[in-house]
Amino acid sequence: MLRVYGGMIVLALAGPVAAQQRLGEVQAPRAPEQVYAKVCGYCHGRNVGPILLGRHLPAETVKYVARHGQNGMPAFRPTEVTPAELDALAAWIATAPARKEEHGQ
Amino acid sequence: MSGFSIDRRGLLGTGLGASLAAGLGTGASAANPAPLAPGRTKADFAGAMKAFRGVVGAEWVFGDEEAVAPWSKTYIPDPAHQYKPVGAVCPQSVEEVQEIVRIANTYKQPLWTVSTGKNMGYGMTAPATPGQVVLDLKRMNRILEVDADLGTCLLEPGVTYQQLKDYLEENKIPLWIDVPTVGPIASPVGNTLDRGVGYTPYGEHFMFQCGMEVCLPDGRLMRTGMGSIKGSTAWQAFKWGYGPYLDGLFTQSNFGIVTKMGLWLMPKPPVYKPFMVRHANMEDVPKIIEAMRPLRVSNLVANCNLMMSASYQLAMFKRRNEIVPDGAPLDEASLKKAATANGLGMWNTYFALYGTEQTVAGVEPIIRATLTASGGEVLTAAEMEGNPWFHHHQTLMQGGLNLDEVGLLRWRGAGGGLAWFAPVAAARGVEAERQTALAKEIVEKHGFDYTAAYAIGWRDLHHIIALLFDKADPAQEQKADACYRELVTRFGAQGWASYRTGVNSMDLVAQQYGEVNRDFNRTLKRAIDPNGILSPGKSGIHP
Repeated sequence: MLRVYGGMIVLALAGPVAAQQRLGEVQAPRAPEQVYAKVCGYCHGRNVGPILLGRHLPAETVKYVARHGQNGMPAFRPTEVTPAELDALAAWIATAPARKEEHGQ
Repeated sequence: MSGFSIDRRGLLGTGLGASLAAGLGTGASAANPAPLAPGRTKADFAGAMKAFRGVVGAEWVFGDEEAVAPWSKTYIPDPAHQYKPVGAVCPQSVEEVQEIVRIANTYKQPLWTVSTGKNMGYGMTAPATPGQVVLDLKRMNRILEVDADLGTCLLEPGVTYQQLKDYLEENKIPLWIDVPTVGPIASPVGNTLDRGVGYTPYGEHFMFQCGMEVCLPDGRLMRTGMGSIKGSTAWQAFKWGYGPYLDGLFTQSNFGIVTKMGLWLMPKPPVYKPFMVRHANMEDVPKIIEAMRPLRVSNLVANCNLMMSASYQLAMFKRRNEIVPDGAPLDEASLKKAATANGLGMWNTYFALYGTEQTVAGVEPIIRATLTASGGEVLTAAEMEGNPWFHHHQTLMQGGLNLDEVGLLRWRGAGGGLAWFAPVAAARGVEAERQTALAKEIVEKHGFDYTAAYAIGWRDLHHIIALLFDKADPAQEQKADACYRELVTRFGAQGWASYRTGVNSMDLVAQQYGEVNRDFNRTLKRAIDPNGILSPGKSGIHP
């Protein structure tokens, strides 16, 4: 069971297209861009939270803040963003370029 | 770290690398480990945790303080740091839930059940009493059925509104969801069980719930409504089943663990037209409610509508010190100036029309006439396009997703403190007028701001007050705690009790609903959960 799950993570992260949720199945592992779009990006770069992309934030910092929730930010549990998803997300945020459409107010 | 700028909205980056273990204003602390449940020994706890690991695997059981930190973060005032879980266990199937419940009975280990745990100003995943292990159902996130013809779905508790919306869109199913304000990360099952409210005509969430599967405190599974009839096709179509209606027993309660829930979904209407009504003065509250009530009771306006105060609106996207200097009161003249500059009134009422071209065109003049007569400016996308506050409600009233209201957490300081106070009244202008005056008096006495909205349900009024404070400031957290208790107590004395409350005030509110009601709940609790293992303290119900 666990080995299958681990295998799915590798497959999903390697694939170019985001896996869609299938009826009756748990959510498949998500690529960093997907987690960013569906969770982080609702606040960060959209008036609410500080901009993250293009700032070369250290991956360890991203992971710590995601799990503990800094200041007004909620904490995200391993059940919401899995350890494998968070590792990939933090590495992606550390190197992702800034986005022009992101803004703060 | 080159090119690393300090953003004014957060201190991300200020020596973070060196201070990861220091807490960072995240609420985590290594100094005071969470206590065990009353009467439980370390051996009991260790035995339960070992057995849990046998069910879900070691990687989904969390016991040491650092590992439990993500379940400990709260926004609510908690000056005594008492709302802390002692562990977390995270099943992925109903069978695992049943096994965990049996183990909890063996070791008398209380479990605090959460679905996605994102109720924000109500305590998130923190339990109401010490020593509880969080039963985190987020990994159970299967969308089990969607019936495009009937407009129904069957969900597990860990499904988020985002997942459900994505599923509907990816499969081109023309049904809407109805979101609470933090839709992307919150759960339809969890919000419905807490009797949350949204923004479309399906906004009274529990009213649109249909059928449950519940793991009882002895580990057996029960289905409500038509769910236990072999071969029935109506589990998600007919709410009542036969005999006493049971579903309500599992909302805002600790009598069972809901592992599946049916919901009704609104068909996407051909025409959706959002409105905003702008009123210029704080004193306009009763006029707005008197004008809106007949429109709601007759269902000419079909959605739960929100009357947002200027201060609540501004707090979403602004910081307090952009409007008045730190330490100064939030006076009405400064508020009005900031509101006007941002296209807002002192009250901003949002509703929408849903239907066909003909029905919307037929209803709109009636509504315009009524609301204009109340002294409001009736505005639509034609006038308000591009306004971020209008856009926020335009999104929510069609079941769209955003997290704009998380911005409330930075209104005051950087610490992120929020407690919702939500007393209920009948939808009468005079009651709102009295409530606003009382709320302002209390919050201002404690040094806080009146950042509030009224939700006009059908015949009811939810006064939704965001008590915003800086949780990084212990003195302010203490004051917020005192302020919250005074709000509950003094509103209660006037007959206005909360429809929902956080773990910091569940006993206080339960007391207001009376001893007979509490006794009844306690009698049920003792009969069905003799070991008191399911969420003790939820809604003031103790073993």
